[in-house]
Amino acid sequence: MKIPEELLKSAKKYHYDTFLMQGVEIPHLCVEKSKILSSFCCPGLEISAKKYSQGVKIKIVVKKGVKIEKPVFLCFGVLGKNGKQIILPEITLEENSEAKILSFCTFPKARKVFHKMEAKIKLKKKTRLIYKEIHYHGDKFGTKIETDFKIFVGQESGFESKFVLDKGSVGKLKVNLRAQLEKESFCKVLNKVIGRGKKDEIEIYDKILLNGESSSSLNKLRGVMINGGRIFFKGETEVTKKAKNARGHIDCQEIVVGENSMVQSTPIIIVKNPEARVTHEASIGKINQKELETLMSRGLSEKEAIDFVIKGMIE
Amino acid sequence: MKKILEVKNLSVESRESKKKILENISFEVDENSIYALVGPNGAGKSTLAYALMGAPRFRIIAGKIIFENKDITKTSIEKRAKMGIALAFQEPAYFENIRVKDFLKVGNKDISEKEIEKTLSLVGLDPKVFLNRKVNRQLSGGERKRIEFASIIAMKPKLMILDEPDSGLDIIIYREFYNILENIKRETKSSIILITHREEIGAICDKAGLLYKGKIIDEGDFRKVIREYCQIVNRKKICKGFKE
Ligand SMILES: Nc1ncnc2c1ncn2[C@@H]1O[C@H](COP(=O)(O)OP(=O)(O)OP(=O)(O)O)[C@@H](O)[C@H]1O
Ligand SMILES: [Mg+2]
Repeated sequence: MKIPEELLKSAKKYHYDTFLMQGVEIPHLCVEKSKILSSFCCPGLEISAKKYSQGVKIKIVVKKGVKIEKPVFLCFGVLGKNGKQIILPEITLEENSEAKILSFCTFPKARKVFHKMEAKIKLKKKTRLIYKEIHYHGDKFGTKIETDFKIFVGQESGFESKFVLDKGSVGKLKVNLRAQLEKESFCKVLNKVIGRGKKDEIEIYDKILLNGESSSSLNKLRGVMINGGRIFFKGETEVTKKAKNARGHIDCQEIVVGENSMVQSTPIIIVKNPEARVTHEASIGKINQKELETLMSRGLSEKEAIDFVIKGMIE
Repeated sequence: MKKILEVKNLSVESRESKKKILENISFEVDENSIYALVGPNGAGKSTLAYALMGAPRFRIIAGKIIFENKDITKTSIEKRAKMGIALAFQEPAYFENIRVKDFLKVGNKDISEKEIEKTLSLVGLDPKVFLNRKVNRQLSGGERKRIEFASIIAMKPKLMILDEPDSGLDIIIYREFYNILENIKRETKSSIILITHREEIGAICDKAGLLYKGKIIDEGDFRKVIREYCQIVNRKKICKGFKE
C-alpha cells in the first residue's frame, strides 16, 4: 500500500512491521483527514470507504467461513499541525470467520487535532476477532481524541482488543468501549497508556455486559502517569440474569510518578446471576520500592530503574 | 592480608521510622575470603547488608564504610554497584513482566547469552526452561532465590553480600551451593559476606562475625563464634555438633 512517509515514521516508533504494511496484496485502508489514500481487499474480505460531509464511513465485512490470514491494516491520521478527522467504521464478521485488524492512528505533528472514531463491531456466531489499535499523538500535547466502540460478541465467539498509547504525548483522550457478550463467548479488553505531561488527560471507560451463559471477560488496564497529568479509569462488568456461570475479571495496575499526577480507578461490578462470579484486582500508586531498590543495587540510576519497571508493566 | 572492606563504628537507623538498628559496628573483610555473618532473627544482619549496599531505606548516622581503601559511606547505591558491590536479597523482589535473561542483564549489560546460560546452569537451573521465564510469582521460592544468586554472579562483583542465599534451597542444590561459593572465591578472587543460619557453613568460611541486638559481639574462627552464640542465646540444642 502507498503510505505517506510521515505515517511510516510514526509507525516505526512502535516497531510496526512497516515492511509488511507496505507489501503488495496486504488488505488495508489508509485515510488521512477525510481523504481516502488507498485501500485493498482480499478474497472473503470487503472494505469500502465513503467520504461524507463530516468524515469517512467505512464498512468492513469478513465473509462467512473465511479466515483472513494476513493482518488487515487500518491507518488513520492527520499529518499536519491542525485538522479534524471523523471515522465511522462498521466491522462485521459473518459466521465462522476470523480476522486480525491492526489499526494505527497517528497525529505526529498535532497542535490542534481532533479525531473521533465511532466503531460498531459485530461478531456473529463462532467468530474470532483480534483488534489492536495503536496511537501516536506526537510530542506537543495537541490532540483531542474520542474513540467509541460498540461491540457485539455473538455466541461462541471471541473478541480481543488492545488499545496502546505508550509513546509521546497524549493530550486529551477519551476511550469508551461497550461490549455485549452472548452465550459461551469471551472477550479480552486491554488498555495500555502512558501520560507524560500535565496537559495529558486520559479517560477510559470499559463496560462489558456478560449476557450469555458461560460467557467470560477480562478487562485489563496498565496505566502510568508521569509529570502531573491525570488518568480516569472506569471498568464495569455486568452479569445479566441469564448469564449463568459467567466469569469476569477486572485487573487494573497504575503507577503514579511525579507531583500533581493523579489516577483514579473505579471498578463497577454488577452480578445478577447467583452462579456467576466477577473478580477485581488493582494496584495503584507509587512504583514498588523493593523493585526499585533491587534494580538500583544492580547499578541502575533511579530514573533508569523507574523506566525499567514501567517498561515491564506496559509490555 | 589486604582488606576489601573495612567497617568502622557504623551506626544505622531506618530512614522512615528513625529506629536505630545497628550500633557501633566494626569489622573487616579480607580480600578473596568468605566472611560469615551469623546471629539470631532480628539481630540486624539484613540491615547491615542493606547499609553496606547503600540502600536508601537506611541512614548511616555514624561511622564509616571503606571499600578498597575508598570511603564509600556517602556513595549512592548504584555507584557502589558499579564499584563492584552486589547484594543478593534475603527476600528477592518479583518483576511481573521481566524475563530471567533480561533480569540477569540488568547488572551486566555486556553479558552474552552463553554466559547467562552458564550462570543459570551453575545455580542448578536449566537454561532451556528458565531463560525466558518471567521473574514473577509463578516461580517457587527456591527458584527465585537461585535466580537472585545467579544475577549476582552475573555481575562479577568484587564483594558479594549474600543474605541467606541458602535458605529455601533443596538438599541437592544446597550441598552444591558451598562448592559453588568456593569455586567463585577461587576463580573470580572475589570476596563474600555470607549471612546464614546454617551450621555447615563453617567448612568454607574464613572468618565469622556474630551480630546480636545490632552489635557485633564476637568475631573470629567460625566454631568459636558459634560457641559464643550458643552461650549467649543459651539454647543448648543449637550447639549440638559443635565440639571443641
Ligand atoms: N525499616 C525498618 N524500620 C524499623 N525497623 C526495622 C526496619 N527494618 C528492620 N527493622 C528491625 O530491625 C531489626 C533487624 O532486622 P533485620 O532484618 O536486619 O534482622 P536479621 O538479622 O536480618 O533477621 P533474620 O534472621 O530474621 O533475617 C528487627 O527488629 C527489625 O524489625
Ligand atoms: Mg535477615
